[in-house]
Amino acid sequence: MMKPVEQVDPNWAWEPFLATAETPWDMGAAAHLMRRAGFGATGEELRQLMARNPQDVVAELVAAQEPESFQREMASLVRASLASGGPQRLAAQWIYRMLNTPAPLLEKMTLFWHGHFATSAAKVEDSKLMQQQNELLREYALGDFSQLALEISRDPAMLLYLDSATNRKTHPNENYAREIMELFCLGEGNYTEQDIRELARCFTGWEIKREKFRINRYQQDTGEKTVLGRTGELSGEDGVATVVSQHQTARFITRKLVRFLVLDEPRAPDDLIEPLADKLREDGMRIAPTVQRILGSNLFFSMSVRGRKVRSPVEVAIGFLRTLNGSTDAFRLATTLQQLGQGLYFPPSVKGWDGGRTWINSSTLLGRSNLIRNLLGDDKTRFGKQGLEQHLTSQGARSMGEVVAYLETVLFAVPLPDTARQKIAQLADSPGAKENRLRDAVHLLCTIPEFQLA
Amino acid sequence: MNNHSLFQLESRREFLKRGAAASAVMTFSMTAPGILCQAVAQTPRNDRILVVVEMAGGNDGLNTIVPHRDPGYTKARPQLAIDGDSVLKINSEIGLHPSCRSFADLLEQGQFAVVQGVGYEQPNRSHFESMDIWHSCQRKGEVRQDGWLGRYLEQSGAAESNDPAALHLGFDKQPFALMSRDVRVPSIRSLSQFRLRGGESPRFREALDQLLESDGDRSGNDLLGFVQASTSNAITSSRRMESSGTMYQPSKPYPASGLGEKMATVAKLIAGGLQTRVYYVRIDGFDTHANQPDAHAALLREVSEAVGCLVSDVSAHGDGDRLMVMCFSEFGRRVAENASEGTDHGTAGPVLLAGAAVKAGLVGRHPSLTDLDQGDLKYHTDFRQVYAAVIEDWLEADSSPVLGGDYEALELFS
Repeated sequence: MMKPVEQVDPNWAWEPFLATAETPWDMGAAAHLMRRAGFGATGEELRQLMARNPQDVVAELVAAQEPESFQREMASLVRASLASGGPQRLAAQWIYRMLNTPAPLLEKMTLFWHGHFATSAAKVEDSKLMQQQNELLREYALGDFSQLALEISRDPAMLLYLDSATNRKTHPNENYAREIMELFCLGEGNYTEQDIRELARCFTGWEIKREKFRINRYQQDTGEKTVLGRTGELSGEDGVATVVSQHQTARFITRKLVRFLVLDEPRAPDDLIEPLADKLREDGMRIAPTVQRILGSNLFFSMSVRGRKVRSPVEVAIGFLRTLNGSTDAFRLATTLQQLGQGLYFPPSVKGWDGGRTWINSSTLLGRSNLIRNLLGDDKTRFGKQGLEQHLTSQGARSMGEVVAYLETVLFAVPLPDTARQKIAQLADSPGAKENRLRDAVHLLCTIPEFQLA
Repeated sequence: MNNHSLFQLESRREFLKRGAAASAVMTFSMTAPGILCQAVAQTPRNDRILVVVEMAGGNDGLNTIVPHRDPGYTKARPQLAIDGDSVLKINSEIGLHPSCRSFADLLEQGQFAVVQGVGYEQPNRSHFESMDIWHSCQRKGEVRQDGWLGRYLEQSGAAESNDPAALHLGFDKQPFALMSRDVRVPSIRSLSQFRLRGGESPRFREALDQLLESDGDRSGNDLLGFVQASTSNAITSSRRMESSGTMYQPSKPYPASGLGEKMATVAKLIAGGLQTRVYYVRIDGFDTHANQPDAHAALLREVSEAVGCLVSDVSAHGDGDRLMVMCFSEFGRRVAENASEGTDHGTAGPVLLAGAAVKAGLVGRHPSLTDLDQGDLKYHTDFRQVYAAVIEDWLEADSSPVLGGDYEALELFS
């Protein structure tokens, strides 16, 4: 029934999902989709999704765009955060966007690329450039990877971050050449040191002047170069295109997408990745069809990948709030996310967030639990513009038993242990205001190990 | 005997220390809930701890380790020289700044050492640049992706531990020295980040204990098994912190200074049995271009008292042989004072070490005050030789991959 991913048939894996008795299209499946393709959904939203065909739901998620009114609202929030200075304001603005966007997959993918093309405000120290990059990532989040790779290679924040804002003919800077191959496109072992030196020559003349990209003709090395087997008087653009057009790039990006959307571990076998990577190339490196293929697949919905990801701090916080239709003090949340290891606009290194088990240690686990407690106790936190009790009642969860059952469905990727159901239901009998008992119950549920999985 | 409450009353370390440690552990593991045994089994007993104190701004080494008999010293510092009568003597030539009383006490106990004349070739006098060099061991223009401690943590497999491999204490930006690709180091602003909220409610606490003890069916999912072990460990850490809040008493009060408070937190975390090996704290303000005497005296007092208190407190709790403190600054200051009763950016300076294991006294000669490089001291010991000794002989790891080359380790430990 639950085949380990190493034994899955690659053909079956990526075929469109067909609901079966073992793997029905039910609340659990819809919640799984919304956790991975977004930041969770309320019971009411899940019921609406369940009434529809799963392939239609996935297609709609992939096609969703921010409505113009929302874009305008965000643009004014961005302006306000930039005016009041400080990247933490910017992070709060992004949190607001994630909490309220009608296009959650677009935001999830923007976050994915932020970790992939990791650039930190700690070094760039220019909020405007950081936001400009953020908007670039959103524009191409589900777009053409070749174009994204080219744009990011000329992105001022990126080049400042990688000390590549000047590239002189006599001293080609190898940093960006190395990272675009090692971390952005190919992975270690798929290029030589000679390729790095040659690619660095392609980037000579590329520089950032007054916060803008430009090409300094006097510093360009126009000679012949050989990068990854291609020889010619290659420009920087040619260099990026050469790297991106390697078949290895499709494999590398596909593998990372599968890890992000489907499972942290174990590592998916190569023959599972290969057919998807082939399709990505056939699709001209467009991201959206690949993401749609992954999210609509048999493997994605199979029980063997449920709960096989560790929630990132953003997924913990935004997921908790969106699932309970919540809103809160985004600025405070931005600071907490940083403490938990996922400061928005502050990835820890050029390698981005490693994810999986690296999210977890004693200090982050206590921090995650305390985050939920703080959200529940914060005056600014509202659930559907109401208190927790009214919100849960509005979703049909009145008794403590119903509350636990409801939260298990919407919030949990794996079943709760029986003891958890019983113990928490018993809190109903303890003294005190119901709102406080509910908070204890929710906090307890979000402290047990099962909650950390997505 | 109720092992559960026992655990709340005693830290694991205190527990192990009570006489027949081995048999106690056995008794403990036979009856204690699984989660608690694991914490005992996982902790190697002789894990050494490094506390790094960054003195940011460029500490005036000449007025910290004072060559009071050197005529060049009084000549270069007509306003700022500290006279021989007030220094705390290390030997007949050299003494500590008078506000370093706690360091002098440690020296008397054989727990304090000064590595003199530490720096690097072609010194850079920019705070940021020089600090980055000390943190990364890389020069400007070289690719700087990680710091020396980050590389050490990566190499030592610290990512495997349930507790953070290293902790940075403070509100400031995380030190580059701790950066690496694979090991994440949390910044802790206060001990409350190590305490589970809601624990004050007995019903919450009781329910949580029961939930963690029930293993449920977590065996089929490795990731879930891992998170469960980590959660148990986190709750245990939190309980230890609570109990060290009530059970652990500092052997003497910590100074009510910024660094004093950070050191008190470090002591509590150590007493709580955290497996963390590296603690990093920073004290800023050493950029004394003007009106140096009072400011510098206060800063040195803060460092000396906080470090002195930590060393004696951790010793009093039985962990003295596991602790070593290293204080460094990005550069020293010019030999000649300026016209504002201050000093400007210079080059070589002393690195201060404290702990039971250090070979007490002066290491290397005081840099010459006559053979100068454009008015600055010439270094004779590369800072990476200090790091090499700390990595090889204290943390017991291979230093060359961490430092990006072979540096001869100084003999710093007895």
